[in-house]
Amino acid sequence: MSGFHNVNNINLMAQQQSMQNRVKVGIKNWQNATIQDLMNFLSRNTRVSIVDASVEGQTVIGYVASKADADSLMKWNGIRFAGNNLKFEILDDNSGTGTSNTITLLKNFLLRRYKTETKMLDLGNLHNDPELVQKGLFSSISTQSKMFPALMKLASKEPQLIVESINLSDNNLKDITGIASLAQTFPNLRNLCLANNQISRFRSLEVWKNKFKDLRELLMMNNPITTDKLYRSEMLRLFPKLVILDGVVLRDEQQLTRIYSLPMKLQQFFFENNDLGSSSTDFVTNFLNFWDADRNQLLGLYTPQSQFSLSVDSSMPSSSVTESDQNPSFGYYLSSSRNISKVSSEKSIQQRLAMGQEAISKNFKSIPRTKHHLQDKPNEYSMEVVSCPQISGFIITLHGFFEETEKPEIDPIKSNGPQRSRRFNHGHNSTNNRLSKKSFDRTWVIVPTGTGVVIASDLLTIRAFATPAWLQDPSQFPAVVPQTINPSQPLQTGMPIAAPGNQAMAAAINPSISTGSAIGSAPQLSPTLQLPPDVQARLNPLQLEILNKLHLETKLNAEYSYMLAEQSGWSYDVAIKGFQNSVSNIPREAFIQ
Amino acid sequence: MSRYGGSSNVVNSGNNRSQLTELFIKKILAHLDDTDPQKLTHFLNLFNPTNCKVIVNATPFAQPAIFLEVWQSSVVQTQHALTAVDYHIIPGSQTMICNVSCKVRFDESGKDKMGQDSVVASNEGNIGMNKTSAKPNSRPLWGSYFGVSLQLVIEERVFNNDMNGVISGFNYNMIYKPQDSLITI
Repeated sequence: MSGFHNVNNINLMAQQQSMQNRVKVGIKNWQNATIQDLMNFLSRNTRVSIVDASVEGQTVIGYVASKADADSLMKWNGIRFAGNNLKFEILDDNSGTGTSNTITLLKNFLLRRYKTETKMLDLGNLHNDPELVQKGLFSSISTQSKMFPALMKLASKEPQLIVESINLSDNNLKDITGIASLAQTFPNLRNLCLANNQISRFRSLEVWKNKFKDLRELLMMNNPITTDKLYRSEMLRLFPKLVILDGVVLRDEQQLTRIYSLPMKLQQFFFENNDLGSSSTDFVTNFLNFWDADRNQLLGLYTPQSQFSLSVDSSMPSSSVTESDQNPSFGYYLSSSRNISKVSSEKSIQQRLAMGQEAISKNFKSIPRTKHHLQDKPNEYSMEVVSCPQISGFIITLHGFFEETEKPEIDPIKSNGPQRSRRFNHGHNSTNNRLSKKSFDRTWVIVPTGTGVVIASDLLTIRAFATPAWLQDPSQFPAVVPQTINPSQPLQTGMPIAAPGNQAMAAAINPSISTGSAIGSAPQLSPTLQLPPDVQARLNPLQLEILNKLHLETKLNAEYSYMLAEQSGWSYDVAIKGFQNSVSNIPREAFIQ
Repeated sequence: MSRYGGSSNVVNSGNNRSQLTELFIKKILAHLDDTDPQKLTHFLNLFNPTNCKVIVNATPFAQPAIFLEVWQSSVVQTQHALTAVDYHIIPGSQTMICNVSCKVRFDESGKDKMGQDSVVASNEGNIGMNKTSAKPNSRPLWGSYFGVSLQLVIEERVFNNDMNGVISGFNYNMIYKPQDSLITI
């Protein structure tokens, strides 16, 4: 007998199975620490465990349990450890050993049918493709019906396929069920051709409703559906941004763009002038460092008339907001929340306003300990600063996120006396006090004094974590070009937009740049990197160097290199990581032609 | 007008400042959501005409009038929902600062505030098409909510029912966006 019922055998098989799945990875740039420290750091931060680690030259070699683990580890590329940015790589990939010839065949077919210049994937007339026919891919109905989903899946895994247009003409399609997954694979598709098929019913197209929101042009000639009198209006309904149908203009594109975009494009920073930019950046950086480390040190900034209060915005972001926390817990904050749209008792509203150092200190202690990431994730913070003549000071507003690291020094629920605990003793459980990531908006009203500043008012809003709106969706890269390159002022005449302030901010909160090596003469720029003189004049030599490096590495043109650098807070590593993550969505015109 | 919060019949007795603040903020949001261009002057009257800082999505406007014009002409119909308000009265300045959180959704039907869409009239016999597009007062098609953080600098006079030019700071910024919205920001 094979010993099938022997538990040890099953264990052995499970072990073999997991050995087969495991993937070899390499880690570079881990100097200044022991391997054990490195492993602890990685398992703590990335939640991926690496086994059988050993040193080979400059690299630590180890294994992770699966391809998925390896992929999630790759997402941490550039994470800072012991003063260096770690670099991960997948060294071999066992998962590919089972690759059948068909996959290779289809992959090669895809690459052959892809036109880089036009970003077009030509899947027209597949039945007459000699290679596919020869390999028997159209021998039966069942292989045919599996072909499209398989092709789509493969296409989505090929990052070099940047597809704006797809041709599916002459495929004898009766409906779109076989190609419905197109919408998942290429949600930002601009042009689609379905001409010369047998599509006859609107109903089958219904699965694409609210998909393909960027679809601009559709060709359906020689399909029975086009003779329906509702054809035009149905297509208008299904594809809200469709401009051209069968070569005929349906919508006024300018008007369409006007309706579906806000005239004020979201920017990450606004400073009324450059001085305000750098001083407020310093203020916020220092403030949050102390806020995370030792809040008592901040009390010197508050006077007996200074006020602090926090309000909880417990509303849930829509589930379509990237990474939004759909189950936030506000247990530690609710008892001090001064959200006057929720708290009805005027007495509570009065009590929850902290005035003067003592009350403010008590309030600080009843909020969880935190960690902000202004330095390592500057992109996730946005800030506006304006002067405020009424108080001869200025107002700083910061939007961003923090991690809760420890429960508060004073438990706000317990410390509020017997009256409150009686109110809460039904159905209150400590799971409401789970520590998690939160988003926040904080507004400081600052008054400069002879030697420093005092905080007249400090208003904090705590809300469920959500990816910030100012982070650019890679698919919308083109939309931001004019704003970043040309800080012209189309809407206003008075206050200047302080674009250099952005860089002041980035430099101040990204010490790796300001303390970097080459300060002095401007670096030699690549001849293909052509910057407008006014842009170049604004950049310091370090920024130019980063720009040049990015440009050479990514082959992005000057505009896009600049945009990438700026959006990454002028950190080369962050920029490269961002580039790698979104490379498949970057339009063709972004690259050096 | 009741839809702007019936502030005229609220008595100011010192401890209802929170209610007045909340009402005033609801009034501002209702003004932002209004599609009627006639109401624009009422809204404009709330802003300090000589010294008011308006910032929207980190884009500054020289004057509130320019902002309101752009909002009326180039932003589709909106619907704001208030989620949090807190405020501090800064002693000795006759000013208060409000920290507001709200959600906003946009009409994604493809029509602007005037009901105008971008569909080009077709020259063939297109039955049914133009009927729907040119219909006035058709219902908005609300998209998903965006998150908004709004800071306001308001003069204390507002508690005495004086709303003329009380807003001297208006900082409106989107803080999160839904991926399924047709609106790009």
